[in-house]
Amino acid sequence: MASSGNKNINAKLVLLGDVGAGKSSLVLRFVKDQFVEFQESTIGAAFFSQTLAVNDATVKFEIWDTAGQERYHSLAPMYYRGAAAAIIVFDITNQASFERAKKWVQELQAQGNPNMVMALAGNKADLLDARKVSAEEAEIYAQENSLFFMETSAKTATNVKDIFYEIAKRLPRVQPAENPTGMVLPNGPGATAVSSSCCA
Amino acid sequence: MELQSQIPILRPSIHARRANIVVKFQDLYGFTVEGNVDDVNVLNEVREKVRNQGRVWWALEASKGANWYLQPEILLIGDGIALKTSLKLSTLTNAITLKRLIRKGIPPVLRPKVWFSLSGAAKKKSTVPESYYSDLTKAVEGMVTPATRQIDHDLPRTFPRHPWLDTPEGHAALRRVLVGYSFRDSDVGYCQGLNYVAALLLLVMKTEEDAFWMLAVLLENVLVRDCYTTNLSGCHVEQRVFKDLLAQKCSRIATHLEDMGFDVSLVATEWFLCLFSKSLPSETTLRVWDVLFYEGAKVLFHAALAIFKMKENELLMTHQVGDVINILQKTSHQLFDPDELLTVAFEKIGSMTTNTISKQRKKQEPAVMAELDQRLRRLNSLKESGKST
Repeated sequence: MASSGNKNINAKLVLLGDVGAGKSSLVLRFVKDQFVEFQESTIGAAFFSQTLAVNDATVKFEIWDTAGQERYHSLAPMYYRGAAAAIIVFDITNQASFERAKKWVQELQAQGNPNMVMALAGNKADLLDARKVSAEEAEIYAQENSLFFMETSAKTATNVKDIFYEIAKRLPRVQPAENPTGMVLPNGPGATAVSSSCCA
Repeated sequence: MELQSQIPILRPSIHARRANIVVKFQDLYGFTVEGNVDDVNVLNEVREKVRNQGRVWWALEASKGANWYLQPEILLIGDGIALKTSLKLSTLTNAITLKRLIRKGIPPVLRPKVWFSLSGAAKKKSTVPESYYSDLTKAVEGMVTPATRQIDHDLPRTFPRHPWLDTPEGHAALRRVLVGYSFRDSDVGYCQGLNYVAALLLLVMKTEEDAFWMLAVLLENVLVRDCYTTNLSGCHVEQRVFKDLLAQKCSRIATHLEDMGFDVSLVATEWFLCLFSKSLPSETTLRVWDVLFYEGAKVLFHAALAIFKMKENELLMTHQVGDVINILQKTSHQLFDPDELLTVAFEKIGSMTTNTISKQRKKQEPAVMAELDQRLRRLNSLKESGKST
């Protein structure tokens, strides 16, 4: 849940989507501004944190990047429980991944936090020649389900920062403190990614 | 797969002799790791300890006879299975010696032979025709299933940049092992995470066929059932048992984390599914596996509890989820000295018998099944309502 104090907002964010849609790549681009062709497959989930300054506040995202394989979906509730935001990722060159994204939206709508900010990311937008899901189709779906939609490319960095920025702007500003024992500490210098070491 | 010959002896250069300079180096199994000069020194000490431990094993072999540790009676004792038949005192003494010896580590050169026998893989293999593995790999060649597609997707994403695993030869060997297994057990098929486990087995066992049998015995006999099948129900059970054990063995940490709303499964799930291969340095992981193959799946709890226990004071100071994860990940990545972990795991955590853990699993199973079932029903009802509108 997003919690605020002196306009420092801590927000738990979860990435969900089909295997190979590019969830980890989006996070790696956002957190470290890097892209690698072969990203280690995620098991369970990987955690990252990154801070963004928006007009009126500093948002510290606690990001859970989840594993995409179908059988891992039974673990998902643990990661989306209490999340303030979600990015549902599909691959624009893969129709099945779009169908899978819709199922995630349904599940979050039924189970997640009702105030959750949800974004739909059509990733791999650099692969225009291989496109299978039109931007219009995704946009209409997003409007019908009150999500916001962006096409992203972790490879070229297109819209990656933007989608997180847009989420940060939409997060509710005043939230009752969910966790009375927790303190909001000053953010550390910049991002602290705590994935396994990346030696590209 | 001649890794040993490629590994340079580590002598930190004069320029790197300052504490906070991060250097990259290759460990015993060819993985590139990052650390400071202290870490390099620790790793060199570990190499020396491994050599000493080798001498201990050779000396025992000289006094007790070759392959003394491979007697079938000794193997059963490792599991904590009490034998009804009367045991010779010498067998019992040997079993106790072996248990201690294994907790101190199996020398890498002996690992293939010792693991293969102690784990039960040799026995499993002996029950099928000699040509089983080659027949299997030939029979499934060129077949495409959801499992093979996922495996192909994961091959270049399994320890990328490892000098052998990330080569066409390494990918092909890993593929045959994983694809072969996916046909051997269609309930498991292929589950992400097994790629890392099988990759390490290949590095240790040296031959593909032995790695395959190790994977089989691991999934069919050593680990709890259904860790990797649909819904990962076995994994959910292990996580619940782990939470209970943490509350028992490290109650202050458990209470503190619970007050913060931190679910320990957030980090521990990966540890259990990859058997630590993605979190601990390679020799440390394999030292955990040494004990795992002799004493059983309870060893995973020992190791996981130890990682928390080692950082008790730091963890009690945390106020944010991110800090807890930072501490645990940093600790596990830098555990270059396996003894540091195993001493805590077996001496400070205290003993747990396979029997009591089995009882705890039984206790948790109904709740896990009910929870998984409930989620499935909820999702199905969503589908129904989606169709009707």
